[in-house]
Amino acid sequence: MDLLSNLQLAFSVIFQTGNLFFCFIGVLIGTLVGVLPGLGPVATISLLLPSTFHITPVSAIIMLAGIYYGAMYGGSTTSILVNIPGEAASVVTCLDGYQMARQGRAGPALGISAFGSFIAGTIAVIIIMLIAPPVAYFALKFGPPEYFSLMFLGLTVLTYLASGSMIKALMMACVGIYLGTIGTDIISGLERFTYGSYTLMDGLGLVPVIMGLFGISEVLVNIEQSLKRDIYETKISHLLPNLEDWKKSILPIIRGTFIGFFLGTLPGGGAVIASFGAYAVEKRICKHPEKFGSGAIEGVASPESANNAASQGAFIPLLTLGIPANVVMAILLGALMIQGIKPGPLLIKNHPDLFWGVIGSMYIGNLMLLILNLPLIGIWVKILKIPYPILFPLILLFCLIGSYSLNNNVVEMMIMILFGIVGYLMKKFAYEGAPLILAFVLSPLFENALRQSLIMSHGSFMIFLTRPISFIFFIASIFLLFSPLIPGLKKRPTG
Amino acid sequence: MSSLVWLMFALYICIESMRLPLGSWRDPGPGFLPVGSGIILGLLSGIVYLRARGSKSPEVKESWYSTERWKNLILVLAALFAYAIFLETLGFLLGTLLLLIFLFRGIEPQRWIVSIGGSALASFISYVVFELWLKTQLPKGILGF
Repeated sequence: MDLLSNLQLAFSVIFQTGNLFFCFIGVLIGTLVGVLPGLGPVATISLLLPSTFHITPVSAIIMLAGIYYGAMYGGSTTSILVNIPGEAASVVTCLDGYQMARQGRAGPALGISAFGSFIAGTIAVIIIMLIAPPVAYFALKFGPPEYFSLMFLGLTVLTYLASGSMIKALMMACVGIYLGTIGTDIISGLERFTYGSYTLMDGLGLVPVIMGLFGISEVLVNIEQSLKRDIYETKISHLLPNLEDWKKSILPIIRGTFIGFFLGTLPGGGAVIASFGAYAVEKRICKHPEKFGSGAIEGVASPESANNAASQGAFIPLLTLGIPANVVMAILLGALMIQGIKPGPLLIKNHPDLFWGVIGSMYIGNLMLLILNLPLIGIWVKILKIPYPILFPLILLFCLIGSYSLNNNVVEMMIMILFGIVGYLMKKFAYEGAPLILAFVLSPLFENALRQSLIMSHGSFMIFLTRPISFIFFIASIFLLFSPLIPGLKKRPTG
Repeated sequence: MSSLVWLMFALYICIESMRLPLGSWRDPGPGFLPVGSGIILGLLSGIVYLRARGSKSPEVKESWYSTERWKNLILVLAALFAYAIFLETLGFLLGTLLLLIFLFRGIEPQRWIVSIGGSALASFISYVVFELWLKTQLPKGILGF
C-alpha cells in the first residue's frame, strides 16, 4: 500500500506543469549533448547548474537528471551513425552499432537502442522504488566511521576502474582531496590556501573546476587536430526492429538492465563500466562470440540498456546515503546542497516530494526520450553535421557564461580557464579527471567524517575496523588498493 | 616527467599545510587532511617517476603537442584570457561579439558573413537567454549594455 501511495505522490509531483516542462527540457538538452561529441553530460550539467538556482529544487533536480539519462540515449546515435561515441558510455556501442549501420541496418540499431534504453529505464525505476527506502533505513545506522569508509571505498573503486594507471588515478584523487580543502575550514574557521582571495574563501567552485577540466580542455584537445567527421550517409528506414531482432535482443536487454543497475549503484561505478560489463557478459555467454564486432544486434541492445539502467541506479547512493557514485552524481550533490537540501538517509523522509518526484520524472522522461528519439532521429543527424569550427566557439562561450554567472565573478572565469589548461595537460599525459572531481566533491564530507571519527575514537584508527559495516567497506577498499600487487589478479584491460 | 611536476606540487601542499595547525590524532586540525593528501601524492609521484626511469626500453617519444597546430591552442587561450580580463570594461554583448568573431575567423577561418552573422546571433541569443530569461546579471561595461 505504501508503495502505491508513494507512486501516487511521484506522479502528482511530476505532472505539475513546471516539473513536466523542466523534465522535457532536461531530456531534450541531454539528447542534444549526447549527440554532440565534445560536450558531455558532465560539462552540460555544470553549465546549467547556475540557471537552476532560480527554480524549485524538485524542478532543478528533475531537469539535471533528465540531462544525464537523456545523454545516454543521445550518445548511442553518434556511436551508431558515425562511429564516434557522443559520450563515454556509448563507446562500446560503436563496435556493433556502426557495423550494423554499414550493413544498412542503422534503423534497427537505433531502434533497438532506444527501446532497450526505455525498457531498462523502466525496470530501473521500479527497482529504485523497491530498494531505496530500505537502503535509506539501513543507512540511518551509519555514523562518521561508516561514512568515511564508504567514501574511501567509492574513491578506491573509481581508481581501480580507471582505464589507465591506477597510481595516476590515486594521485588525482589526492589532488582532488587537496583542492577540496581550499577555503574556510568549517570546524576551526581558519582559512586554508586562500592567499587573501575573496573568491577562494568559500572554496574552489565546483562549476569552474568541472567546466575547465571537462569542457575547455576537450575543446583545446580537439582544435589541435582537424576534425573531419564522416557521417554514414544512409537512408534510415525501418526504425522498428523486426521480430527476429526482438527475439535476439530481449534477453540481452534484460540482462544488461540488471548488470547495469547493479554496477551503477556501486560507488565509483557508473554508466561507462556498466556498458562495458554488459557487453563482455553477452559476448561470453553467446554461442557465437565471433559475431560480436561485426554487427550483432545483441552487442547494441545490451550495453545500451546497461548504461541507461546504470545512470538511474546511480541515484540510489546519492539519494539514500548522500554519497555520489560518479562525477555526474557529484555535481547533483552540489546542486542539492546549494539548494539547501542535504542528501542522505533522511532525504526520503524529509523531502518525499523531491525523492518520489525525481523517480516519477525518470519514468516520464524515459517515455519522452522514446518519443524524441525515434521520430526525431533525422533532426539529430542534422545536428551531427554541424562542423566543429562552428561548434567550438559556442561551447567555449557557454563555459565562459556558466562560470561567470555563478557568482558574477570574473575570477571564477580565470579559474575555469586555468583548469582548462590543467585538464588539457592531464589528457595529454593520461591522468584521468574523474577521480579528481569525485575526490574534490567528497573532500569536505570525507574530512568531516575522518575528523569526527578520530575525535570519537580518541585518535585510534581502529575505529574503522571495529565497527562491522565500516569494517566491510574498509577491507574491501584495502583489497582493491593492493589487488594489483597480488599475482594472478590482473586488472581487466577495459573499463 | 609529468610526475616530477606533481612531486613539486605535493611538496608545495605539504609546506603550505604545515603552516596550518595540524592538531593531534585525537583532534585533527585543519592542516591534517591536506598534509596527508600531500604526502601520499608525493609518494605516488615518486613511484611513477622511478618506474618511468626504470623502464628499460626508452620509447621514441612522440611530441605530446601537435607540431603544426599548437598555435591554435595559444590563440584560443589568449582569446579566453583577454575575454575574462576585458569583459567588465567592454560589457557582455560587445565582448562576446568580438570573442566569437575571433574564434570563428582566427582558428579555422569561416566566411566573413558566417563569422559576423553567427557571432551576432549567438551573442544576442545568449544575452536574451541568460540576461533576460534566467536573470543572470551579465556585465554591462562602459557602454551600458
